[in-house]
Amino acid sequence: MPLKSNQMPVIFGAAQSVTERLWRPAADIYQTRDGWIIKYAVAGVKPEDMKIAIKGSAITVSGFRRDWKLEEGCTYYAMEISYNRFERTIELPCLLDGAEVRMEARDGILIVRLKCRGVNP
Amino acid sequence: MSNSEEEKLQTLPLLPIKNSVLFPTLLMPINAGRPASIAAIEAALATEEKELVVFAQRDASIDEPQAGDLYTIGTKAVVKKMARGRGGIEAVLLGVERVVLIKVEQDGTYQRARVRPLPIIEEKSTEIEALHREVIDLATRAVELTQPQAAAGMAQLIASAKEPLRLVYMLAPMFSLELEKEQALLEAATVTDTLRLMHAYLSHELQVLELRSKIASEAQTEMSKEQRDYLLRQQLKAIQKELGGENPEQNELTLLRERVEKADLPEDVRKEVERELGRLERLPPAAPDYNVGRTYLDLVLELPWKTATEDVLDIGRARTVLDEDHYDLREIKDRILEHLGVLKLNPTAKSPILCFVGPPGVGKTSLGQSIARALGRKFERLSLGGLHDEAELRGHRRTYIGAMPGRIIQAIRRAGVNNPVLMLDEVDKIGHDFRGDPAAALLEILDPEQNRTFRDNYIDLPFDLSKIFFITTANTLDTIARPLLDRMELLRLSGYSEEEKVEIAKRYLNPRQIKEAGLQPDHVTLESEALKAIVSLYTREAGVRQLERTIGRVTRKIAVLHAEGKKDPVTVTRDNLAEWLGPRRFSTDQARKQLPAGVATGLAWTETGGDVLYIEATLLPSGRGLTLTGQLGEVMQESARAAQSYIWSHAEELGIDRSLFRRYGVHIHVPAGATPKDGPSAGVTMATALASIYSRFPARVDTAMTGEITLTGLVLPIGGVKEKVLAARRMGMKRVILPRDNEKDLSELPDTVAKEMEFIFADKIEDVLTAAIPQLGKHFSTLEQAAS
Repeated sequence: MPLKSNQMPVIFGAAQSVTERLWRPAADIYQTRDGWIIKYAVAGVKPEDMKIAIKGSAITVSGFRRDWKLEEGCTYYAMEISYNRFERTIELPCLLDGAEVRMEARDGILIVRLKCRGVNP
Repeated sequence: MSNSEEEKLQTLPLLPIKNSVLFPTLLMPINAGRPASIAAIEAALATEEKELVVFAQRDASIDEPQAGDLYTIGTKAVVKKMARGRGGIEAVLLGVERVVLIKVEQDGTYQRARVRPLPIIEEKSTEIEALHREVIDLATRAVELTQPQAAAGMAQLIASAKEPLRLVYMLAPMFSLELEKEQALLEAATVTDTLRLMHAYLSHELQVLELRSKIASEAQTEMSKEQRDYLLRQQLKAIQKELGGENPEQNELTLLRERVEKADLPEDVRKEVERELGRLERLPPAAPDYNVGRTYLDLVLELPWKTATEDVLDIGRARTVLDEDHYDLREIKDRILEHLGVLKLNPTAKSPILCFVGPPGVGKTSLGQSIARALGRKFERLSLGGLHDEAELRGHRRTYIGAMPGRIIQAIRRAGVNNPVLMLDEVDKIGHDFRGDPAAALLEILDPEQNRTFRDNYIDLPFDLSKIFFITTANTLDTIARPLLDRMELLRLSGYSEEEKVEIAKRYLNPRQIKEAGLQPDHVTLESEALKAIVSLYTREAGVRQLERTIGRVTRKIAVLHAEGKKDPVTVTRDNLAEWLGPRRFSTDQARKQLPAGVATGLAWTETGGDVLYIEATLLPSGRGLTLTGQLGEVMQESARAAQSYIWSHAEELGIDRSLFRRYGVHIHVPAGATPKDGPSAGVTMATALASIYSRFPARVDTAMTGEITLTGLVLPIGGVKEKVLAARRMGMKRVILPRDNEKDLSELPDTVAKEMEFIFADKIEDVLTAAIPQLGKHFSTLEQAAS
C-alpha cells in the first residue's frame, strides 16, 4: 500500500501544539565563563513581536513574523521564508530560574545573554 | 454566541481540495491549477499571516464547488512555501487547526470562508492509552506487510508520535484510506473517538493485508518450488560440466526436443511424441526405461509420416526403363504401365499388390527394382523365407526387453519415404508355429482397406501403408494361404525358352559378367552359337542364374589370361567352348533314342520350370494288382489307378487281351526315384504307358504328353503349359499332346517355339493314345471303319 505521495508527514519536534509554533528559527549557542549566549536567526521579526520565557532549565523564544507589502501591485512568484508564529525552546544544562537575561536585536539576529548562578549541572 | 467566541471567528480565503484531507500538524504539498484556487492562495499570500482554510470536496469531479459541495469541517492552514509552476501554483501547506465552516462568500474570483475553530476535546484516560498502543501495534504490523524494506524507519516514526492525535493524523495518509474515512477522522469529536475510528480502519486494513500476503506467499511457495528445481538442475548441469565436458544425456534430450519441434508429424503422432518426450525428461538417464523411450522416439521421428517421393508419371520413360532391365515379360510390364496410366488420371489410386510367381532366377526380384526405377520410387525388400513369428512382421510391444518394430516398419524406416516399392520375397516360404502365423499378419498388411491404419505393436501409432507398392514373390502358390492369395494380383513369370535365354545373356548377363571380371567389352566376344551351346549343354534351368554363373566362369578365365599379360581379344565359339568350360554337362538328346513298349513321355511342372519324365510300366508275371514306385504322391497314385481302371474297362476297344489282366500284375515306376512327385497331370501319360505295355505297341519317342484324365476317359486341362512345352523342346521332343482346354495357353509361347513344335489337342484319352501309339491309332481307325 503506497503512501500518498502528496502528503508526507513531517514531524516537528515535541511541541505540544502546532497552533503555537508554525516555524522554528535556527539558533547558535555559545558557552561563556559565567553563562550562555544564544543567537536566533529571526530576520524580519520586529523586536516588539518577540518574547522570551524561562522555565526550569528551558528558554523559549516565541514570536510572530509578519509579511509586509513592499510595493503596490506586486505578487508573489516564489516564497521560502516562513511567516506567522514561531517558537523555539532550548534546554540548557543548568537551571535558569533567576538568571539575568539581556536581549539585543542586531541585523536580523536576536542575541540573548544569560548569566546564571550555580553554573554547570 | 458569546463575545469571546465571536472573536475567534475568522474570514479566510477558501481552498477546496480533491480526494484528500489536510490534517492539523501535517504538511501537504498541493498543486493549485483552478483559477479560484490560485486566487485564494494569492489572497492568502497577500496577508501578513499567509493563512487560509482548506476544505475537502465531497465530489472530486466538480470544478467550481459551492458551499454545499464541501465538507463542513476543514482545516486552517498556513502557506509555508510556494512557487509558480506551469499554469498554477505549487505550495506547501501546514495544517494548523480544525475549523468548522459557517459561511462562504464570493470575493471576486475566489471564495472566502467564515470559519470558527473547532478544537478537539483533549482528555486523558486509560482507554486512550490502550487504544494508542494498539494503534501503534497495528500500524507497525501493517507497515511491515506493505513495505518490509522501510518498516524499521516507519516503525521509528510511528513510535516517535507521542501524542495520540498526532499519531492518527500521521497514519491516515500513510495508508490509503478513502476520503470519507479521512474526513471522519478529522471530524471525530474527541481523541477517543478518533483513536477508535483509526483502530477500526487499521484492523480492517490489516486483515486485508494479511490475506493478501497469505495469497501472495502461497503463490510464492509454488514458484519457489519450481525455482528450486530449476536452480538444482542448473547446478547439476554445472557439476556435470565440471566433471567431464557436456552432459551427453541432457544434450541428447535437447537435440531430441529440437528434432521433435522440426519434424513434420501428424497431430496425433505429435501428441504421443510430446508425451513420451515429457516422460523422458523426467527420467534419470540411468533408468532402464530411458533408453527404451529414447530409441522409441528416435524411430518415430525417423519414420516418414509425411515424406513421399513424387511418382514419375512418364509412361514412355517407364517403358524404356523396364525394357532396359528385362527382356520380354510383356504381361508384367503392361500391368505396371497400366498402373502408371491410372495414377496419372487418378493420383489417389490404390497401389496394386502384385505377386510374381515363377521359378527361381527368372528375375522376380530384379523386376521389382526395375519397377521402382520406372516409377521413380524407392525400393526396399525383405525376405519372408523361414519367418515363423508374427511379431517379426508386426513388432513387439514396447514392454518387452529388446523390443523392436516389425520388419515392415523397419523397411519403411530404411526407405525414408512412405510410398516405396516394398518387395516381400519368398512369400510362399513363410513358416508358422505356436508363436503365431505371420501370414495372418500379412493379411492385414496387404489389405488396402485395413493397412491405412496399420498399427505396429512397437510404435503403437497408426501408420498408413496404403501408399506402398507391395510386390510379393513366390516360387509356388500351393503353400500360400488362400485368403492371402486372394489379396494379391498374380502375375506369372514362367521359365525362359532357349532363344530368350540367349537374348538375355547377350543383352544383360554377358555385359554384366564382363564388367564384373574387370574386362572391356572388346576383350571378349561370345558368339550366339556359343551362348546357345552354354544354354543347352551346360545349364538346365528355367531361369538364368546358372547361365550367368557359367558365363562368369568363361569371363573369369579370360580375365586370368589378361592378368597374365595375354591381351589378345578372345572369341568364344561353339567349337572352343569346351576349352573354357570343360566337357558338356548335359546332352540335348538325353531323350531316349527309342522307347520300348510300356514307356511313355510325360511332362512335369516343377518349381524350377518344366521337366520331361518317362513313365515306365511293366507286367509282372506272377504278381497281382498295381504297384506304384517313384515317390508318387496321393493324387498321382489315384491318377494311376484311374488310368488302370480306364484301360481295363476299355480293353475291348483297345484290342487288349483281357486275360493279361488276370495273369499279370502291373508295376508303374516314375524316375528319378528320389524326387517326390505329385499332381494329376501325368494321368494321360500313365494311361499311355499302360496301353503300351498291354498292347505291346511302343509309344512314339518324339511325343510328350500331359493332361489329367477321368474314369470315363475325358482329358482335363492342366497348368504350367509354357514350362512343360519348353522342357519338351529342350529335350528334343517334336510333338506335344495337350488337353484341348489348354489350347489358349499356347499364346504364351515364343513364336519360334510355337512354329517348331507340333501340338495335338486331346478331348478324350483315345485322342491321346492315337497320337502317342501309332499302331493303336491304326487299330482305332479300323475299329471306326468297322463301326461305320
